Amino acid sequence: MRILAALRWLIALFAAAVILLPVVWTLSISFKPPREWVAYPPRLIPEEPTLANYQVLFQVGNPVGAIAEMTRSAESVSRAFLNSLIIAPVATVAATAIGFFAAYAVSRYGAGGPLFPLSVLTTRMFPPIAFAIPLLVYFRMLDLIDTRLGLVLMYTGFTAAFSLWMIKGFIDGVPRHIEEAALLDGASRWRVLFTITLPMVKGGIAAALLFVFILNWTEFLLALVFSSRHATTIPVQVSHYAGAVGRFYGPQAALGIVASLPVVGAGYLIQRHLVRAFTFGLVK
Amino acid sequence: MAVDRPRRSAGPSLAALLNQERVFALALIAPLQFLLWFLLIIPTIIVLYLSLVNWQPIMGVDWWQAPFAWLGNYARVLQDRRFWEALLRTAGLVGVSVSLEFLLGLGLALLFRQDFRGKRLLTSVVLYPMMLPWVVVGLVFFLLFLDKGPVNYLIGRLLGADAPFDWYGHSISALGVIVLADVWQWTPFMFLILYSGLGALPKEPQEAALTLGASRWQVFRLVMLPLLRPIVFIAIVIRALEAFKIFDLVFIITRGGPGTATESLSLYLYLLSAVYGQLSYAAAMAVLVLVLVAMLTRVATKPLEQRAIR
Amino acid sequence: MATIILDRMRKEFGATVAVDDVSLEIPSGRLACLLGPSGCGKTTTLRMIAGLETPTAGEIRFDGRRMNDIPPQRRGVGMVFQNYALFTHLSVYENLAFGLRVRGVTGREVDQAVHRFAELLELEALLGTGVARLDLSTMQRVALGRTLITQPHVLLLDEPLNNIRPGLRETMRAELRRLQLELRQTAVYVTHDQEEALSLGDQIIIMRQAQVEQVGTPEEVYGRPRNRFVATFVGSPTMNLLPCRLAQDDGRLRLVADGLLFGAERWARAREAGPDLLLGIRPERLTLGSGGLQAQVTLVQSTGAEQVLELMIGAHRLKAVAGRDRRFSPGQTVRLDFPSPDLYLFDARTGEALYE
Repeated sequence: MRILAALRWLIALFAAAVILLPVVWTLSISFKPPREWVAYPPRLIPEEPTLANYQVLFQVGNPVGAIAEMTRSAESVSRAFLNSLIIAPVATVAATAIGFFAAYAVSRYGAGGPLFPLSVLTTRMFPPIAFAIPLLVYFRMLDLIDTRLGLVLMYTGFTAAFSLWMIKGFIDGVPRHIEEAALLDGASRWRVLFTITLPMVKGGIAAALLFVFILNWTEFLLALVFSSRHATTIPVQVSHYAGAVGRFYGPQAALGIVASLPVVGAGYLIQRHLVRAFTFGLVK
Repeated sequence: MAVDRPRRSAGPSLAALLNQERVFALALIAPLQFLLWFLLIIPTIIVLYLSLVNWQPIMGVDWWQAPFAWLGNYARVLQDRRFWEALLRTAGLVGVSVSLEFLLGLGLALLFRQDFRGKRLLTSVVLYPMMLPWVVVGLVFFLLFLDKGPVNYLIGRLLGADAPFDWYGHSISALGVIVLADVWQWTPFMFLILYSGLGALPKEPQEAALTLGASRWQVFRLVMLPLLRPIVFIAIVIRALEAFKIFDLVFIITRGGPGTATESLSLYLYLLSAVYGQLSYAAAMAVLVLVLVAMLTRVATKPLEQRAIR
Repeated sequence: MATIILDRMRKEFGATVAVDDVSLEIPSGRLACLLGPSGCGKTTTLRMIAGLETPTAGEIRFDGRRMNDIPPQRRGVGMVFQNYALFTHLSVYENLAFGLRVRGVTGREVDQAVHRFAELLELEALLGTGVARLDLSTMQRVALGRTLITQPHVLLLDEPLNNIRPGLRETMRAELRRLQLELRQTAVYVTHDQEEALSLGDQIIIMRQAQVEQVGTPEEVYGRPRNRFVATFVGSPTMNLLPCRLAQDDGRLRLVADGLLFGAERWARAREAGPDLLLGIRPERLTLGSGGLQAQVTLVQSTGAEQVLELMIGAHRLKAVAGRDRRFSPGQTVRLDFPSPDLYLFDARTGEALYE
């Protein structure tokens, strides 16, 4: 029996290593000077740890030598960062709000017909590229290509359905008689929605916010297609670095790390406070 | 309707009240409906139209004036070798990835059924790959499999000789890296679903099976797995649908290369539409893919529907 | 079939003691009932016999062989659960065959055994049916067949008839008993229903709050309860208890219950016990007749075959049982006779029954 327990622990350790090491390796490269990037044999801990790679990202500091060269060829990620910091949260809040309202309408009034929730789910089934093609044509006409507004609209549209799906379950769980009592007391429907139902599904809304944020922050394909110079987002920036900057692995790694921080933070929040909501939505 | 009409001695008429309720519901769902129309329904119509005409932006005419080609684009797609290769390749990727994710996820779920030191910590660790942006996952694995990267180093140590294998130069190995990245990222998803599913299974039949003489392995195989089937099914279908759309990983790790050896369906569509500008052709292909996905989903979920009815 | 011995078994769940120093011997081929209110530890004890719970202390022996370290799958026990725990994805046939299949029995042997027990339990017609569609009593028969087919050393039943409606319950009870006797199957039956236990068991084990209160035959626990708890738990309607004290006048012992005198010569031990005593008599033993004490009827409940009367003697509430021949009504005055051989005496403080 004890052998089994030890074996179990070993496998767990192995699993943890496999999961952690790839990112740890990237982290390691992000702190390495150029000559160590592809040094052979590879070492986990940098001999001369440096923040230069991160500096390149934001074009700060006084880089010299090879790093100066990188800085010249690499573009600053500031714009991409700014864009993502605007687009993702705005789209997330919008999608969640729209999803919340719609979820309420579907739950309480069966709005949209009985098949509505299922049909909105299909938006996630199809490859986004299929929608990108006509949207290219469409957005060009509306002059929304390479704009933040365009991306916000798209992201909101594609994730609102998802947030509806997540929140609806929570709204279903709120007993109607509480709302009816308030209505009988003379409260308007809007009031009931905001002061009674909303607080009771706080957990679901928070979960939806975090999830949708992760989806929006990490979205790549649509951003790639619909942005060229102005509306670049972080994931697109990562691909620029991976392509244009060629073998400058240091800054690539640094960008990867920086790009992941917000969503890892969101993920942590999800785990910490909402594990129940997470599995509830997922298993349902 | 869901809500009882408030009884008041004097007040708005029944019709007015009904109206108010309906207006309310409509107002609530309006933004979503708008978005759906704007981003889904109209584009679908446009895509259908585009697929039936011959239009490329460089032609210089407005898209609604393009000449009709009817089913010509579709015929071209069906004869396009690159299309079939991408389709089969993507299907293969999905098959291998999802199978691996299922097996590994199941293994992890079984591991987690018992308590062990550091279980809570490991749970947090296990979940985070799903959170990372796909592009970052691609980047992370790209860095791992570089010529002089740690993987080649470790292999060299194991084999006793330096083996600077060019992972990205051969189609099989490049696909392998992509599969590995996908499995790394999404096994936690399978794990979560299977773990919750296992936990939700009723305990008594398992105990009954034990008392009847079944070994723990037999209990798992004969009593638990069969009951797990609907959940497993859903998980696999969901994951497979997502995996079918694979784009980010391929783009970052290999850009479809070497040549077109790792080109996924989404990547090909992307190139056709955003890079080559062959929008009509891409539209036809997209429609075919949509139809294919819809059919497969129907086929895959039919057994579920039947079970639900029973 | 095996003799089951529990030797000073103890089970703790964290800070809670579920089973406290329980020792039992269940002879081979007998049906023992673990009887008690919920939470008394009877189910936990049963599960320890099955091996589904590991004892914190104590030893279990089947036919003298120590079982503590042997997992449930190798103990040769058969367990029937309150919720049947059938394999819902399998047919009746496969449920019955399960225990044999996992042991590697194949083909004709399995088929013969399944048919034999299906016949025994009248399940022949349903062998191909999926168990999810069956009604509760049929499910229970399948659960029973599934365990019996493996010829377990001991059959363990955890309130198996709880979810069966009352009329059917008696029938199934009888069926169960018949089978058990026919197969000479050692069995342990857990229930909170004292009527069920008394009608089924060769041996009754009464438990309360993790401890054994009394072990005996149905006659023993009914006729000679060890303490107040057993006396009031067994028997329906509940035994009447009247608080009383010893009167010391005229050199003989007299019980004084609120001014009413009862002869107390039989209970020499009453003197050793505390001053507060309880006089007990079962409602069905009180005779309504010409002699005895005066009592007023407050409630009449008819169960068809008999009548249960609630009466007051002074400030004390009593119950009595009468046949159908006489008519009673609230407010009526009757005379209650307390036949001396049917009287019990309990120490009010310790609850212990005082016999001479």
